[in-house]
Amino acid sequence: MGKIFSVEFMLEIIPDILKGIPYTISIAVVAFFVGISIGFFGAIIKIYKIPVLKKIVGVYVSFVRGTPLLVQILLIYYGIPILLRIINQQFGTTFDVSKIPAMVFMFAAFSISAGAYLTESIRAALLAVDKGQMEAAYSVGMNTFQGMTRIVIPQAIKVGIPVFANFFIGLLKDTSLAFAASVPEIMGRAKIEAGRASRFFEAYIAAALIYWGICILFERLVVVLERKVRKNEGGVEK
Amino acid sequence: MIELKGIHKSFKNLEVLKGVDLTVQEGQTVALIGASGSGKSTLLRCINLLETPDKGKIVIGNYSFDADNMKAAVKREARKRTAMVFQNFGLFENKTALENVTEALIVVKKMAKADAEEVGKQYLEKVGLLGKKDHYPNALSGGQKQRVAIARALALEPKIVLFDEPTSALDPELVQEVLGVIKNISKERVTMLIVTHEMDFAFDVADQVAFMDNGTILEVNTPKELFAHPKNKRTRQFINRYTQRFSYTI
Repeated sequence: MGKIFSVEFMLEIIPDILKGIPYTISIAVVAFFVGISIGFFGAIIKIYKIPVLKKIVGVYVSFVRGTPLLVQILLIYYGIPILLRIINQQFGTTFDVSKIPAMVFMFAAFSISAGAYLTESIRAALLAVDKGQMEAAYSVGMNTFQGMTRIVIPQAIKVGIPVFANFFIGLLKDTSLAFAASVPEIMGRAKIEAGRASRFFEAYIAAALIYWGICILFERLVVVLERKVRKNEGGVEK
Repeated sequence: MIELKGIHKSFKNLEVLKGVDLTVQEGQTVALIGASGSGKSTLLRCINLLETPDKGKIVIGNYSFDADNMKAAVKREARKRTAMVFQNFGLFENKTALENVTEALIVVKKMAKADAEEVGKQYLEKVGLLGKKDHYPNALSGGQKQRVAIARALALEPKIVLFDEPTSALDPELVQEVLGVIKNISKERVTMLIVTHEMDFAFDVADQVAFMDNGTILEVNTPKELFAHPKNKRTRQFINRYTQRFSYTI
Protein backbone atom coordinates (compact mmCIF):
# COMPACT_ATOMS: atom_id res chain seq x y z
CA MET A 1 0.00 0.00 0.00
CA GLY A 2 1.14 3.52 -0.74
CA LYS A 3 0.07 6.66 1.02
CA ILE A 4 -2.47 6.69 3.83
CA PHE A 5 -4.38 9.52 2.13
CA SER A 6 -3.71 10.25 -1.52
CA VAL A 7 -4.61 13.85 -2.37
CA GLU A 8 -3.49 13.20 -5.94
CA PHE A 9 -6.03 10.40 -6.35
CA MET A 10 -8.75 12.55 -4.92
CA LEU A 11 -8.00 15.40 -7.31
CA GLU A 12 -7.71 12.96 -10.20
CA ILE A 13 -11.19 11.51 -9.75
CA ILE A 14 -12.99 14.80 -9.05
CA PRO A 15 -13.59 15.62 -12.75
CA ASP A 16 -15.24 12.25 -13.22
CA ILE A 17 -17.40 12.64 -10.13
CA LEU A 18 -18.44 16.12 -11.31
CA LYS A 19 -20.03 14.46 -14.33
CA GLY A 20 -22.67 13.19 -11.92
CA ILE A 21 -23.86 16.72 -11.13
CA PRO A 22 -26.43 16.96 -13.96
CA TYR A 23 -28.13 13.79 -12.66
CA THR A 24 -28.13 15.02 -9.09
CA ILE A 25 -29.43 18.47 -9.95
CA SER A 26 -32.05 17.31 -12.43
CA ILE A 27 -33.52 14.75 -10.02
CA ALA A 28 -33.65 17.33 -7.24
CA VAL A 29 -35.13 20.11 -9.39
CA VAL A 30 -37.74 17.94 -11.12
CA ALA A 31 -38.77 16.30 -7.84
CA PHE A 32 -38.97 19.69 -6.14
CA PHE A 33 -41.25 21.30 -8.71
CA VAL A 34 -43.45 18.25 -9.27
CA GLY A 35 -43.51 17.85 -5.49
CA ILE A 36 -44.58 21.48 -5.04
CA SER A 37 -47.47 20.93 -7.47
CA ILE A 38 -48.56 17.70 -5.77
CA GLY A 39 -48.08 19.33 -2.39
CA PHE A 40 -50.18 22.34 -3.33
CA PHE A 41 -53.15 20.19 -4.34
CA GLY A 42 -52.62 17.96 -1.32
CA ALA A 43 -52.60 20.99 0.96
CA ILE A 44 -55.74 22.49 -0.60
CA ILE A 45 -57.52 19.14 -0.28
CA LYS A 46 -56.54 18.92 3.38
CA ILE A 47 -57.39 22.54 4.22
CA TYR A 48 -60.79 22.49 2.50
CA LYS A 49 -61.39 18.95 3.81
CA ILE A 50 -62.61 17.65 0.44
CA PRO A 51 -64.34 14.32 1.07
CA VAL A 52 -62.77 11.06 -0.24
CA LEU A 53 -59.71 12.90 -1.66
CA LYS A 54 -58.89 13.94 1.89
CA LYS A 55 -58.63 10.25 2.88
CA ILE A 56 -56.49 9.41 -0.14
CA VAL A 57 -54.07 12.27 0.61
CA GLY A 58 -53.94 11.15 4.23
CA VAL A 59 -52.89 7.61 3.33
CA TYR A 60 -50.40 8.87 0.72
CA VAL A 61 -48.68 11.24 3.13
CA SER A 62 -48.68 8.67 5.90
CA PHE A 63 -47.18 5.94 3.69
CA VAL A 64 -44.44 8.11 2.20
CA ARG A 65 -43.46 9.57 5.54
CA GLY A 66 -43.61 6.18 7.17
CA THR A 67 -41.28 4.34 4.79
CA PRO A 68 -37.62 4.99 3.93
CA LEU A 69 -36.94 6.78 0.67
CA LEU A 70 -34.60 3.97 -0.38
CA VAL A 71 -37.46 1.48 -0.08
CA GLN A 72 -39.73 3.76 -2.13
CA ILE A 73 -37.07 4.06 -4.84
CA LEU A 74 -36.72 0.29 -5.05
CA LEU A 75 -40.50 -0.20 -5.02
CA ILE A 76 -40.86 2.15 -7.98
CA TYR A 77 -37.83 0.76 -9.77
CA TYR A 78 -39.04 -2.81 -9.57
CA GLY A 79 -42.77 -2.09 -9.27
CA ILE A 80 -43.36 -0.04 -12.42
CA PRO A 81 -41.97 -2.78 -14.75
CA ILE A 82 -44.29 -5.31 -13.09
CA LEU A 83 -47.20 -2.90 -13.48
CA LEU A 84 -46.35 -2.45 -17.16
CA ARG A 85 -46.21 -6.22 -17.66
CA ILE A 86 -49.66 -6.54 -16.13
CA ILE A 87 -50.96 -3.76 -18.37
CA ASN A 88 -49.40 -5.44 -21.42
CA GLN A 89 -51.01 -8.76 -20.52
CA GLN A 90 -54.42 -7.28 -19.80
CA PHE A 91 -54.71 -4.97 -22.79
CA GLY A 92 -52.41 -6.66 -25.30
CA THR A 93 -50.22 -3.56 -25.48
CA THR A 94 -46.46 -3.78 -25.97
CA PHE A 95 -44.80 -1.19 -23.77
CA ASP A 96 -41.13 -1.98 -23.51
CA VAL A 97 -39.88 -1.40 -19.98
CA SER A 98 -36.25 -1.68 -20.95
CA LYS A 99 -36.58 1.42 -23.14
CA ILE A 100 -37.54 3.62 -20.19
CA PRO A 101 -34.40 5.28 -18.79
CA ALA A 102 -33.69 4.73 -15.10
CA MET A 103 -33.89 8.50 -14.62
CA VAL A 104 -37.65 8.45 -15.36
CA PHE A 105 -38.14 6.06 -12.45
CA MET A 106 -36.07 8.36 -10.27
CA PHE A 107 -38.10 11.41 -11.25
CA ALA A 108 -41.24 9.51 -10.32
CA ALA A 109 -39.93 8.15 -7.02
CA PHE A 110 -38.42 11.42 -5.77
CA SER A 111 -41.44 13.47 -6.90
CA ILE A 112 -43.87 11.20 -5.09
CA SER A 113 -41.78 11.40 -1.97
CA ALA A 114 -41.33 15.18 -2.18
CA GLY A 115 -45.05 15.68 -2.81
CA ALA A 116 -45.96 14.05 0.47
CA TYR A 117 -43.57 16.09 2.59
CA LEU A 118 -44.43 19.30 0.76
CA THR A 119 -48.16 18.67 1.26
CA GLU A 120 -47.58 19.18 4.95
CA SER A 121 -45.16 22.11 4.54
CA ILE A 122 -47.44 23.96 2.13
CA ARG A 123 -50.46 23.30 4.32
CA ALA A 124 -48.60 24.79 7.27
CA ALA A 125 -47.47 27.80 5.20
CA LEU A 126 -51.00 28.50 3.96
CA LEU A 127 -52.45 28.18 7.45
CA ALA A 128 -49.77 30.52 8.81
CA VAL A 129 -51.34 33.37 6.81
CA ASP A 130 -53.83 35.22 9.00
CA LYS A 131 -57.41 34.09 8.37
CA GLY A 132 -58.43 37.75 8.21
CA GLN A 133 -56.54 38.14 4.93
CA MET A 134 -58.93 35.87 3.05
CA GLU A 135 -61.92 37.52 4.74
CA ALA A 136 -60.61 40.92 3.72
CA ALA A 137 -60.26 39.64 0.15
CA TYR A 138 -63.85 38.36 0.21
CA SER A 139 -65.07 41.63 1.71
CA VAL A 140 -63.80 43.64 -1.26
CA GLY A 141 -65.52 41.26 -3.68
CA MET A 142 -62.75 38.87 -4.65
CA ASN A 143 -63.53 35.20 -5.19
CA THR A 144 -61.60 32.37 -3.55
CA PHE A 145 -59.22 31.98 -6.50
CA GLN A 146 -58.36 35.69 -6.61
CA GLY A 147 -57.93 35.86 -2.85
CA MET A 148 -55.69 32.80 -2.90
CA THR A 149 -53.47 33.80 -5.80
CA ARG A 150 -53.18 37.52 -5.08
CA ILE A 151 -53.23 37.69 -1.29
CA VAL A 152 -52.77 34.39 0.54
CA ILE A 153 -50.27 32.47 -1.62
CA PRO A 154 -47.75 35.36 -1.92
CA GLN A 155 -47.71 35.62 1.86
CA ALA A 156 -47.52 31.84 2.29
CA ILE A 157 -44.49 31.71 -0.01
CA LYS A 158 -42.75 34.24 2.18
CA VAL A 159 -43.45 32.13 5.26
CA GLY A 160 -42.52 28.94 3.45
CA ILE A 161 -39.24 29.89 1.77
CA PRO A 162 -36.94 28.84 4.63
CA VAL A 163 -38.80 25.53 4.93
CA PHE A 164 -38.78 24.89 1.17
CA ALA A 165 -35.08 25.78 0.94
CA ASN A 166 -34.31 23.40 3.75
CA PHE A 167 -36.29 20.70 2.03
CA PHE A 168 -34.51 21.28 -1.28
CA ILE A 169 -31.12 20.92 0.37
CA GLY A 170 -32.26 17.65 1.90
CA LEU A 171 -33.52 16.53 -1.48
CA LEU A 172 -30.20 17.36 -3.18
CA LYS A 173 -28.42 15.04 -0.81
CA ASP A 174 -31.07 12.32 -0.90
CA THR A 175 -30.42 11.98 -4.62
CA SER A 176 -27.36 9.97 -3.59
CA LEU A 177 -29.82 7.11 -3.08
CA ALA A 178 -30.51 7.04 -6.82
CA PHE A 179 -27.38 4.91 -7.24
CA ALA A 180 -29.49 2.04 -5.89
CA ALA A 181 -31.18 2.17 -9.29
CA SER A 182 -27.79 2.46 -10.99
CA VAL A 183 -28.10 6.15 -11.92
CA PRO A 184 -24.54 7.49 -12.28
CA GLU A 185 -24.98 10.53 -10.07
CA ILE A 186 -22.31 12.01 -7.77
CA MET A 187 -22.36 9.28 -5.15
CA GLY A 188 -22.61 6.52 -7.72
CA ARG A 189 -19.53 7.75 -9.55
CA ALA A 190 -17.62 8.15 -6.28
CA LYS A 191 -18.42 4.55 -5.36
CA ILE A 192 -17.28 3.29 -8.74
CA GLU A 193 -14.00 5.23 -8.51
CA ALA A 194 -13.50 4.10 -4.92
CA GLY A 195 -13.91 0.47 -5.84
CA ARG A 196 -11.67 0.77 -8.88
CA ALA A 197 -8.63 1.94 -6.87
CA SER A 198 -9.68 0.61 -3.46
CA ARG A 199 -9.32 4.15 -2.13
CA PHE A 200 -12.70 4.65 -0.49
CA PHE A 201 -11.99 7.49 1.89
CA GLU A 202 -10.56 9.78 -0.82
CA ALA A 203 -13.54 9.16 -3.09
CA TYR A 204 -16.08 9.87 -0.36
CA ILE A 205 -14.26 13.01 0.78
CA ALA A 206 -14.37 14.19 -2.84
CA ALA A 207 -18.11 13.44 -3.01
CA ALA A 208 -18.72 15.21 0.29
CA LEU A 209 -16.88 18.33 -0.88
CA ILE A 210 -18.88 18.41 -4.11
CA TYR A 211 -22.23 18.08 -2.30
CA TRP A 212 -21.15 20.75 0.15
CA GLY A 213 -20.13 23.08 -2.66
CA ILE A 214 -23.48 22.72 -4.42
CA CYS A 215 -25.34 23.37 -1.19
CA ILE A 216 -23.30 26.49 -0.41
CA LEU A 217 -24.11 27.90 -3.84
CA PHE A 218 -27.76 27.11 -3.29
CA GLU A 219 -27.80 28.73 0.14
CA ARG A 220 -26.43 31.93 -1.40
CA LEU A 221 -29.25 31.83 -3.93
CA VAL A 222 -31.83 31.48 -1.16
CA VAL A 223 -30.46 34.49 0.71
CA VAL A 224 -30.94 36.64 -2.41
CA LEU A 225 -34.40 35.21 -2.99
CA GLU A 226 -35.47 35.76 0.58
CA ARG A 227 -34.28 39.35 0.54
CA LYS A 228 -36.40 39.91 -2.54
CA VAL A 229 -39.54 38.33 -1.10
CA ARG A 230 -39.17 40.10 2.22
CA LYS A 231 -38.93 43.50 0.62
CA ASN A 232 -42.13 44.67 2.30
CA GLU A 233 -40.57 44.30 5.72
CA GLY A 234 -38.42 47.31 5.04
CA GLY A 235 -41.73 49.11 5.19
CA VAL A 236 -41.56 51.20 2.03
CA GLU A 237 -41.72 50.23 -1.63
CA LYS A 238 -38.49 51.31 -3.27
CA MET B 1 -81.27 51.76 1.41
CA ILE B 2 -80.37 48.62 3.30
CA GLU B 3 -83.04 46.42 4.76
CA LEU B 4 -82.65 43.33 6.93
CA LYS B 5 -85.69 41.18 7.55
CA GLY B 6 -85.85 38.39 10.08
CA ILE B 7 -82.17 37.48 10.06
CA HIS B 8 -81.44 34.27 11.95
CA LYS B 9 -78.02 32.76 12.53
CA SER B 10 -76.87 29.90 14.75
CA PHE B 11 -73.44 28.48 15.39
CA LYS B 12 -73.89 24.83 16.29
CA ASN B 13 -76.40 25.00 19.14
CA LEU B 14 -75.90 28.65 19.93
CA GLU B 15 -78.52 30.93 18.41
CA VAL B 16 -76.73 34.25 17.93
CA LEU B 17 -79.26 36.15 15.82
CA LYS B 18 -82.91 35.58 16.61
CA GLY B 19 -84.73 37.37 13.85
CA VAL B 20 -83.16 40.79 13.35
CA ASP B 21 -84.96 43.56 11.46
CA LEU B 22 -83.09 46.73 10.66
CA THR B 23 -83.31 49.47 8.06
CA VAL B 24 -80.55 51.89 7.18
CA GLN B 25 -81.72 54.76 4.99
CA GLU B 26 -79.56 55.98 2.15
CA GLY B 27 -76.96 58.48 3.39
CA GLN B 28 -77.58 57.68 7.03
CA THR B 29 -75.13 56.64 9.68
CA VAL B 30 -76.49 54.03 12.03
CA ALA B 31 -74.58 53.02 15.15
CA LEU B 32 -75.16 49.53 16.48
CA ILE B 33 -74.51 49.31 20.19
CA GLY B 34 -74.93 46.58 22.78
CA ALA B 35 -73.04 44.32 25.13
CA SER B 36 -70.31 41.98 23.88
CA GLY B 37 -71.80 38.74 22.64
CA SER B 38 -75.14 40.32 21.75
CA GLY B 39 -74.62 39.48 18.07
CA LYS B 40 -73.61 42.87 16.65
CA SER B 41 -70.54 41.65 14.77
CA THR B 42 -72.31 38.53 13.55
CA LEU B 43 -75.10 40.69 12.15
CA LEU B 44 -72.56 42.82 10.31
CA ARG B 45 -70.81 39.74 8.94
CA CYS B 46 -74.16 38.40 7.75
CA ILE B 47 -74.74 41.51 5.64
CA ASN B 48 -71.66 40.97 3.50
CA LEU B 49 -72.02 37.22 3.87
CA LEU B 50 -68.77 36.43 5.62
CA GLU B 51 -71.29 34.46 7.65
CA THR B 52 -74.23 32.97 5.82
CA PRO B 53 -77.53 33.70 7.59
CA ASP B 54 -79.74 30.67 8.22
CA LYS B 55 -82.97 32.52 7.55
CA GLY B 56 -84.07 35.96 6.45
CA LYS B 57 -83.95 38.45 3.63
CA ILE B 58 -81.48 41.20 2.85
CA VAL B 59 -82.05 44.14 0.52
CA ILE B 60 -79.08 46.23 -0.55
CA GLY B 61 -80.25 49.06 -2.78
CA ASN B 62 -81.94 47.40 -5.75
CA TYR B 63 -80.39 44.00 -5.02
CA SER B 64 -82.18 41.63 -2.72
CA PHE B 65 -81.50 38.07 -1.76
CA ASP B 66 -82.75 35.38 0.52
CA ALA B 67 -80.86 33.19 2.97
CA ASP B 68 -82.33 30.15 1.17
CA ASN B 69 -80.51 31.08 -2.02
CA MET B 70 -76.84 31.47 -1.16
CA LYS B 71 -74.96 30.65 -4.33
CA ALA B 72 -71.39 31.86 -4.75
CA ALA B 73 -72.59 34.35 -7.37
CA VAL B 74 -75.10 35.87 -4.92
CA LYS B 75 -72.38 36.24 -2.31
CA ARG B 76 -70.11 37.99 -4.80
CA GLU B 77 -72.86 40.36 -5.91
CA ALA B 78 -73.70 41.17 -2.30
CA ARG B 79 -70.06 41.79 -1.46
CA LYS B 80 -69.62 44.09 -4.44
CA ARG B 81 -72.31 46.29 -2.94
CA THR B 82 -70.90 46.37 0.57
CA ALA B 83 -67.51 47.09 2.10
CA MET B 84 -66.22 46.20 5.49
CA VAL B 85 -63.80 47.84 7.90
CA PHE B 86 -62.51 45.23 10.33
CA GLN B 87 -61.53 45.49 13.95
CA ASN B 88 -58.08 44.13 13.10
CA PHE B 89 -57.77 46.26 9.94
CA GLY B 90 -57.47 43.33 7.51
CA LEU B 91 -55.06 45.19 5.24
CA PHE B 92 -53.36 42.99 2.66
CA GLU B 93 -49.92 42.57 4.23
CA ASN B 94 -48.19 41.99 0.91
CA LYS B 95 -49.50 45.20 -0.66
CA THR B 96 -48.61 48.85 -0.12
CA ALA B 97 -51.19 51.31 1.19
CA LEU B 98 -52.02 52.41 -2.34
CA GLU B 99 -52.14 48.83 -3.65
CA ASN B 100 -54.49 47.94 -0.82
CA VAL B 101 -56.93 50.52 -2.15
CA THR B 102 -56.43 49.76 -5.86
CA GLU B 103 -56.32 45.95 -5.66
CA ALA B 104 -60.06 45.36 -5.72
CA LEU B 105 -60.64 48.21 -8.19
CA ILE B 106 -58.33 46.45 -10.65
CA VAL B 107 -59.21 42.82 -9.91
CA VAL B 108 -62.91 43.05 -9.09
CA LYS B 109 -64.05 46.25 -10.82
CA LYS B 110 -61.71 45.68 -13.80
CA MET B 111 -60.54 49.28 -13.74
CA ALA B 112 -57.39 50.17 -15.70
CA LYS B 113 -54.35 50.34 -13.44
CA ALA B 114 -53.68 54.03 -14.05
CA ASP B 115 -57.31 54.97 -13.36
CA ALA B 116 -57.38 52.83 -10.24
CA GLU B 117 -54.26 54.58 -8.97
CA GLU B 118 -55.86 57.97 -9.51
CA VAL B 119 -58.90 56.89 -7.52
CA GLY B 120 -56.68 55.27 -4.91
CA LYS B 121 -54.64 58.42 -4.36
CA GLN B 122 -57.82 60.48 -4.10
CA TYR B 123 -59.14 58.29 -1.28
CA LEU B 124 -55.81 58.13 0.53
CA GLU B 125 -55.79 61.91 0.39
CA LYS B 126 -59.25 61.92 1.91
CA VAL B 127 -58.05 59.96 4.96
CA GLY B 128 -54.90 62.08 5.10
CA LEU B 129 -52.44 59.36 4.13
CA LEU B 130 -51.37 60.16 0.60
CA GLY B 131 -47.83 60.61 1.94
CA LYS B 132 -47.80 56.99 3.08
CA LYS B 133 -48.99 55.50 -0.20
CA ASP B 134 -45.87 53.39 -0.74
CA HIS B 135 -45.70 52.09 2.82
CA TYR B 136 -46.51 48.49 3.58
CA PRO B 137 -48.99 47.87 6.42
CA ASN B 138 -46.25 46.80 8.83
CA ALA B 139 -44.74 50.28 8.55
CA LEU B 140 -48.01 51.99 9.55
CA SER B 141 -49.43 52.66 13.00
CA GLY B 142 -52.73 51.06 13.99
CA GLY B 143 -54.60 54.29 13.34
CA GLN B 144 -52.99 54.70 9.93
CA LYS B 145 -53.79 51.10 9.02
CA GLN B 146 -57.41 51.65 9.89
CA ARG B 147 -57.52 54.85 7.84
CA VAL B 148 -56.12 52.98 4.83
CA ALA B 149 -58.76 50.30 5.41
CA ILE B 150 -61.42 53.01 5.39
CA ALA B 151 -60.01 54.43 2.15
CA ARG B 152 -60.08 50.92 0.65
CA ALA B 153 -63.72 50.49 1.65
CA LEU B 154 -64.80 53.91 0.34
CA ALA B 155 -62.97 53.53 -2.97
CA LEU B 156 -65.26 50.63 -3.84
CA GLU B 157 -68.19 53.06 -3.68
CA PRO B 158 -70.38 50.53 -1.93
CA LYS B 159 -74.05 50.97 -1.11
CA ILE B 160 -73.08 50.66 2.54
CA VAL B 161 -69.87 50.64 4.54
CA LEU B 162 -69.88 48.25 7.49
CA PHE B 163 -67.61 49.08 10.43
CA ASP B 164 -66.91 46.26 12.86
CA GLU B 165 -65.64 47.93 16.03
CA PRO B 166 -63.16 50.00 14.03
CA THR B 167 -61.39 51.45 17.07
CA SER B 168 -61.38 48.52 19.52
CA ALA B 169 -57.88 47.38 18.61
CA LEU B 170 -56.33 50.85 18.84
CA ASP B 171 -54.64 52.52 21.76
CA PRO B 172 -56.63 55.39 23.21
CA GLU B 173 -54.50 58.05 21.55
CA LEU B 174 -55.14 56.67 18.07
CA VAL B 175 -58.89 56.21 18.53
CA GLN B 176 -59.64 59.87 17.92
CA GLU B 177 -57.79 60.07 14.60
CA VAL B 178 -59.86 57.19 13.22
CA LEU B 179 -63.14 58.46 14.65
CA GLY B 180 -62.34 61.86 13.15
CA VAL B 181 -62.04 60.31 9.70
CA ILE B 182 -65.31 58.40 10.11
CA LYS B 183 -67.03 61.58 11.27
CA ASN B 184 -65.85 63.41 8.17
CA ILE B 185 -67.13 60.79 5.79
CA SER B 186 -70.47 60.61 7.58
CA LYS B 187 -70.86 64.29 6.70
CA GLU B 188 -70.57 63.32 3.06
CA ARG B 189 -73.68 61.18 3.46
CA VAL B 190 -72.00 57.85 2.92
CA THR B 191 -74.36 55.13 4.15
CA MET B 192 -72.76 53.49 7.16
CA LEU B 193 -73.52 50.89 9.78
CA ILE B 194 -71.09 51.07 12.68
CA VAL B 195 -70.72 48.56 15.48
CA THR B 196 -69.10 50.49 18.28
CA HIS B 197 -68.49 50.73 21.99
CA GLU B 198 -67.67 54.43 21.73
CA MET B 199 -70.89 55.90 23.08
CA ASP B 200 -69.82 59.54 22.74
CA PHE B 201 -68.99 58.90 19.13
CA ALA B 202 -72.32 57.16 18.50
CA PHE B 203 -74.11 60.09 20.11
CA ASP B 204 -72.13 62.57 18.04
CA VAL B 205 -72.13 61.02 14.61
CA ALA B 206 -75.06 58.65 14.21
CA ASP B 207 -78.42 59.62 12.75
CA GLN B 208 -79.91 56.54 14.38
CA VAL B 209 -78.70 54.32 17.17
CA ALA B 210 -79.81 50.71 17.36
CA PHE B 211 -79.50 48.82 20.63
CA MET B 212 -78.96 45.11 20.31
CA ASP B 213 -79.31 42.55 23.04
CA ASN B 214 -79.28 38.78 23.04
CA GLY B 215 -79.71 38.37 19.29
CA THR B 216 -82.43 40.92 18.63
CA ILE B 217 -82.63 44.67 18.15
CA LEU B 218 -84.62 46.04 21.06
CA GLU B 219 -84.73 49.71 20.22
CA VAL B 220 -83.89 52.06 17.37
CA ASN B 221 -84.04 55.79 17.80
CA THR B 222 -82.21 59.05 17.31
CA PRO B 223 -79.18 59.28 19.61
CA LYS B 224 -80.75 62.06 21.67
CA GLU B 225 -83.89 60.05 22.35
CA LEU B 226 -82.18 56.72 22.87
CA PHE B 227 -79.56 57.99 25.27
CA ALA B 228 -81.83 60.41 27.14
CA HIS B 229 -85.08 58.44 27.21
CA PRO B 230 -84.47 54.77 26.55
CA LYS B 231 -87.84 53.04 26.36
CA ASN B 232 -86.76 49.47 26.89
CA LYS B 233 -85.70 48.37 30.36
CA ARG B 234 -82.64 46.52 29.07
CA THR B 235 -81.56 49.57 27.01
CA ARG B 236 -81.87 51.75 30.10
CA GLN B 237 -79.64 49.38 32.09
CA PHE B 238 -77.02 49.40 29.38
CA ILE B 239 -77.06 53.17 28.88
CA ASN B 240 -76.96 53.79 32.62
CA ARG B 241 -73.92 51.64 33.05
CA TYR B 242 -72.15 53.66 30.40
CA THR B 243 -73.15 57.05 31.76
CA GLN B 244 -72.17 55.97 35.26
CA ARG B 245 -68.65 55.37 34.04
CA PHE B 246 -68.20 59.08 33.68
CA SER B 247 -69.74 60.14 36.98
CA TYR B 248 -67.24 58.83 39.49
CA THR B 249 -66.42 61.20 42.29
CA ILE B 250 -62.71 61.28 42.78
